[in-house]
Amino acid sequence: MQCKDVELVLEQEGLEPLPEEARAHLVECRDCRNYIADLTSVIDAAKKLPQEITPPDRVWISLRAQLEEEGIIRTPAEVIPAEPVSLWQSINAFFSNRVLATAMVGILIAAAAVFQIRSDRTTRVVPPVQTAKVQPMVPAAKPTVTKPTEAASTVTASTVSQPSGEFDRTARDLNDQEPVATGMLLTSSSPIDVSLRDNLKKVNEFIAECERHLKEQPQDELTREYLSAAYQQKAELLSAMIERGRSVN
Amino acid sequence: MCLRMMGIVPALPATWMKKSFLPVLSAGLLLWSAAPTRAAGAGQRIEKQFSITGRPVVVIHNVANGRIDVKSWKNSEVNIVGTQTSNKIGFDIEQVGDRIDVTANVLDASARPLELEANLQLTVPEETELQLKTETGLIYVEQVVGDMKLESYAGDVHLKEVSGYIIVKTTSGSLVCTQCAGKLDFSSIGGNAQILQPQLNNVNLMTTTGNILFDGDFVRTGLYSMKSGRGLVEVRFSSTDSFDLKAQTSTGVVDNQANAFLKPDSHGAKHLPSKFVHGLVGTVGQGLAKVELSSYSGTIRIMKRD
Repeated sequence: MQCKDVELVLEQEGLEPLPEEARAHLVECRDCRNYIADLTSVIDAAKKLPQEITPPDRVWISLRAQLEEEGIIRTPAEVIPAEPVSLWQSINAFFSNRVLATAMVGILIAAAAVFQIRSDRTTRVVPPVQTAKVQPMVPAAKPTVTKPTEAASTVTASTVSQPSGEFDRTARDLNDQEPVATGMLLTSSSPIDVSLRDNLKKVNEFIAECERHLKEQPQDELTREYLSAAYQQKAELLSAMIERGRSVN
Repeated sequence: MCLRMMGIVPALPATWMKKSFLPVLSAGLLLWSAAPTRAAGAGQRIEKQFSITGRPVVVIHNVANGRIDVKSWKNSEVNIVGTQTSNKIGFDIEQVGDRIDVTANVLDASARPLELEANLQLTVPEETELQLKTETGLIYVEQVVGDMKLESYAGDVHLKEVSGYIIVKTTSGSLVCTQCAGKLDFSSIGGNAQILQPQLNNVNLMTTTGNILFDGDFVRTGLYSMKSGRGLVEVRFSSTDSFDLKAQTSTGVVDNQANAFLKPDSHGAKHLPSKFVHGLVGTVGQGLAKVELSSYSGTIRIMKRD
């Protein structure tokens, strides 16, 4: 059995149970094992999504751009909401292309992050609102520039992996992906990969800083917005790293 | 011979000369012979021209390192010039109707970074849609009207006199947008954004650690949102502008250097500042445009231009 045969089997029959021939091929073929691992992670991520999730427009836009980039669609098409097909069929449709599968991982992470953030916001128990002082023109409260926080230069996934409450799941999903993404570019010394790693570090530091602040000021909506945006950036960054890792390797 | 004429005897015997000089000579000859090969690789150039009937859509994906220049002309043609430093990069150029796809591919994965430079110069009709993606090089677009999506990891993006719906996304690259019009979305982790003399009516700028500078007029009824996690957000406006302003920061500072021009907000309760952030609200003129500035821990500076 060849790699393409395994792909065909997966498209037609799904992951389990794999035929004996396919399993034998997997023993010898690292690429196919990686492929299966990709699919498994996509399915795991998909299982965590509720059925009714409506991804934000930017997910469709980026998906469409990716499809156009790959030459799969050639005419500008309207962004159409998902057809009523099963999630498994949708995922299967993309399995034939590894780049798309990789992109999907990133998009699913981003979608999960957005959904998690939004759903947590709607369900969060808001403490009794204190009356805000109406200050038509409030000068800056602090006369001096805020000192940078002591974000340690060694902030890594482990330090970010203890977020406060509502971002738990998002952080966990992203932290699960982080070793995969960084591992793919670990040995590369190209400027672009160095830049990606450096930016991931920056985002991690920023997330850690926002998390610390939110623990002290849980009602600070502005910080929450920044934290939410930082998680989205991290998701996109990890997706870019995985995609690049695939193309480099 | 000269040494002997001067009465100087070589300090080392001829055998040493043979042993030490010959390898050096050989190495020199080898390098000399290799040099023309590299030179031949360098400076490889490809030029193509495509006729267009309507508004073209140009899609470029440059996976190599290098800059992309896009300028406009009056002709209904797209001219593409690609240069590369080695033959380890290949250009795929394809026209499908009015869409032109250009892809710079790495042909040899073992190539060194210096061998992976590919620059693209495009001349396009004034009304052209662009979708450009590169890794490290500069993206420069001048005098193009049309929607554009420009993506880069580490490369900067410079735009001059462009208009349309402009989406710029970078990881660490910075944006300089001079005399741009239309709608602008910029997002980055470490990149800065400079918006100079704009005629933009809808602006969304977001960077995690970069700085933002907006120096220009706020179009009436325009919407402007500028956010930086850790960086400086600086806005320079003119006294004839008309906008509502809301500036807020969690742990940073609002540096208001235009207090004389900011009136108390006439639109009242719409702009209540949160008790958990520092900030100000105010109005310049009639408050026709809406300007929202925020920074998590950076400085927000509000200034009037001379």
